[in-house]
Order: sequence, then C-alpha cells, then structure tokens
Amino acid sequence: MMRILQNLFQFDEPDSVGTKIQLRAFEFFAVTYTLIYTWEWAFYIPRLSDVVLPLGLANYIDISVFFTNGISIYNAVLISLFTLIPLLFKRVRWLYAIAFVLFHLQHVARFSQGEIPHSANLVAFSLMGLGLAALFFKGMKNELSFAFGFTLFFFGLGYTSAAISKLVATGVTWVDGYHLWLWMGEKSIDILSLQGEFQYNWLQELAFNSRFLATLILSFGLITELLGFTIWFKKLRPYIVIMLIGMHVGIDLTMNIFFKTFSIQLIIMGFFWNRYINAIPGVEGLNEHPLVKKILLY
Amino acid sequence: MDSFKKHKKILLWTLLVNILLVATHLGEFWPFSIFPMFSQAGKEWSRGVVEQVEDSTRADLWDTKPISEIEDRILPLKDYGIHEIDFANFITKTKVWNEKRLNGMRSTFQIDQHPGEMWLATRVRGYMDERDSVVIEAIPMFLFTADTTIKNPHLFPEP
Repeated sequence: MMRILQNLFQFDEPDSVGTKIQLRAFEFFAVTYTLIYTWEWAFYIPRLSDVVLPLGLANYIDISVFFTNGISIYNAVLISLFTLIPLLFKRVRWLYAIAFVLFHLQHVARFSQGEIPHSANLVAFSLMGLGLAALFFKGMKNELSFAFGFTLFFFGLGYTSAAISKLVATGVTWVDGYHLWLWMGEKSIDILSLQGEFQYNWLQELAFNSRFLATLILSFGLITELLGFTIWFKKLRPYIVIMLIGMHVGIDLTMNIFFKTFSIQLIIMGFFWNRYINAIPGVEGLNEHPLVKKILLY
Repeated sequence: MDSFKKHKKILLWTLLVNILLVATHLGEFWPFSIFPMFSQAGKEWSRGVVEQVEDSTRADLWDTKPISEIEDRILPLKDYGIHEIDFANFITKTKVWNEKRLNGMRSTFQIDQHPGEMWLATRVRGYMDERDSVVIEAIPMFLFTADTTIKNPHLFPEP
C-alpha cells in the first residue's frame, strides 16, 4: 500500500519549476473542462421537460427544477466563480468542494434523459480531488500533489473496473469479433441520426470482413483496460498511457466515439513532463519571475 | 511519511463511499461508476432516427423496413439542435407512451418550431441473424405534424 501511495503522491522534485507547471497544468485543465461542460449543459437543460432517468442526487431531489427559471444558468455562474477564484487567486480553495457538488447537480440535470455518459467523469474526480485537498491539506504543493495522485488513482480504478464489468457481464467471449460488428452497426445509427448520412471507414470495413481482426481489436481493448490500474505505478505509467490513448483512437475509428477529454488528461498526467521541463536550461529562473510566480506557479 | 497516512485515509474513505454508492444505485452515482458501458456483448440494441416524410398517405409508412430503405430520408438532427443520443434514449427507454410523454417529446425536441415539416420518429433495432449477419431494421413509431401526433396503428391499436 505504501508503495502505491508513494507512486501516486510523491514527486521527484516537488519544488522545481517542472513539477509546479505540471501540477498547475492539471488544475487549469480541470477548471477549463469543468467550465466547458458546465456551460454546454447550462444552455441545453432549459429544453428538457421530463426526467426519464434520475441519476445521483436526482434520486432524492426533484431535479426538474433545473429545467425552468434559468436555474441551470445561475448554477453555471456559481460553478464558474467557485472554480475561477481558487484557480486564479489561489485562495479560498475549499470553494472547489462546493463547485464539485454543484457540478454534480448540473450533470444529473443534463443527463436525466436516459443517457449515462462517462466523458466528464475524470474531470469531476479532479475537481473532487482539488476540493478534498483544500479541506484536508495546507499549501499549494501538498494540495496539488494530492489532487493529482487522487485523480490518477480513479483513472486506474475506472479503466480496470470497466474491464471487470465486461468480464462479469459477458465473460471472456466478450472479445468475439461478432460483438464489434453489432456495436459498429449501433454507432453507425447514432451518426446517421446526427448527420443524416454515414459511411463506414477503412478500419470498420476491414473489421466487418474479418472476424479475426475484429476479435483482435476487442482483445487489445480489454487487455488495455484490465491493465489500467498500472497507471498507479510510475515506472509503468507512460506505457499504459500510450496503450490507453491507442485504445481510445481505436474506439474512435471503430465506434465513432472519441474520448477527447480523457485523452487530453491522460497526456497531461501520464508522462513525466516535470522532468522534461526541468531539463530545459535556465528554466529554474521562472521560479523567481514575479508575474509567472503570481499567476502560473505558486 | 506521516503525511501519507492522511492521503491513505482520504483515499480509503472515498473508495468506501464510492463502493457504497455504486452498490446501492445500480452502479452509477456520478462520477462514481463501475463503468459498465459495452459490458453486455452480443445483445440486440435499439436506437432512434427521424425520417422526413413528404407524403403521409404512403402505403408503407407504418411498415417495419430495412434501414437501407430509409437511409436517404434521415433528418440530420444536428441541424435542428437536437441531441441524437437523447432522442434515441427517449424513444427506446420510454415504456408507457402517454400524452405527457408525447408532449414532452414534442417540447424537448422543439417539434412545434418547424410547423411545415412532417417527422416520423423511428426506432431502429439491430441484431445478429442465424447466418451471423448484422440485421438493422427501422420501426416507425410516431408521425409528428404541425398540430398532431399520430401513433403507428400496428404498434398502438385503437381500443
């Protein structure tokens, strides 16, 4: 357990410019995507009229109140304030915890129509990590390294539990290429519905022509997901991240679902950017630059 | 190393809350999830499309047909600001089509803002046949016109 904790939360050079840039990049990413999702949902929610499927807290409160009187817009304003203030001013950082709860409400209001998407899950875990860090740790260095490791933990857990869900629900035959054919057909209808037209691409054509290739594609996906927990270990992290990004590119090519947010976050968190940045000659001088220190670093 | 005790404690408490919430809420309490997407392989699926209708008196209007027969008449939902997954879920997950639900569909998808159009809300079903081929068929459900909603008489016979 101690080994996992060290791998998740301990940075080689915690006070270096490289580490500060990587941790702040993680925080800027989390806030930026929280705001992108929040506002995208805010303008869609007023169109809704009926709760088809209550999720999360919507099981206990009447989330349809978000559909009227601009509540989703007011909520978006609050989320914006409660994330931008701690991000830019580096104070009252416990506001992240409140922003997380409001973000949850915005999500369950938007996705009360039956769809359960997971594209924003890791952004929400990042926000939760930042909120918990502010409540239980003191100082930006400790807070950010906790939030970073906390998010990595749920990254690994999420991918591995997705693989276990497949093995429990279907078994090892999940990788049978026939299943990919069915899903490619299913997703083709979503694209047809969205765009009014659809053409299978080269990889989809190849997979339809070869059950073996389709089986290989699914096998790679399942093994990669199963190994997701290895992101917890520094030595293995860049390799599994490359495999996971490869898997997401494969999912995009075969099923037309691109997990853009997951992929960007994997790139920010999955490589040792701090080491690469620290290797740049003279970069340590940024630690003393007043403006950079005030806005970008800490 | 003392500080890691706190890290461990928070991580384990969060994990416990995660397990309790997903165990009591069918695997989903966002962002906690068991991530079950695509876990059930080989099952028949249902999605939704909207077919543009020129002539509502057409003889085969309410017939179930292969998707290839209606492909060139599909309404691109992005041009109308309609979220395609919401539409698919609305049409496939609704169990009882009462007046409230039909009106909810009209307002969510802003059907009344396009009075000159006739839209056929269509469920699309996919499955593997006995020859291991993917079969995709379109099942018309409701015809939305400027001021009426007409149900497929084959699926919703008048009492």
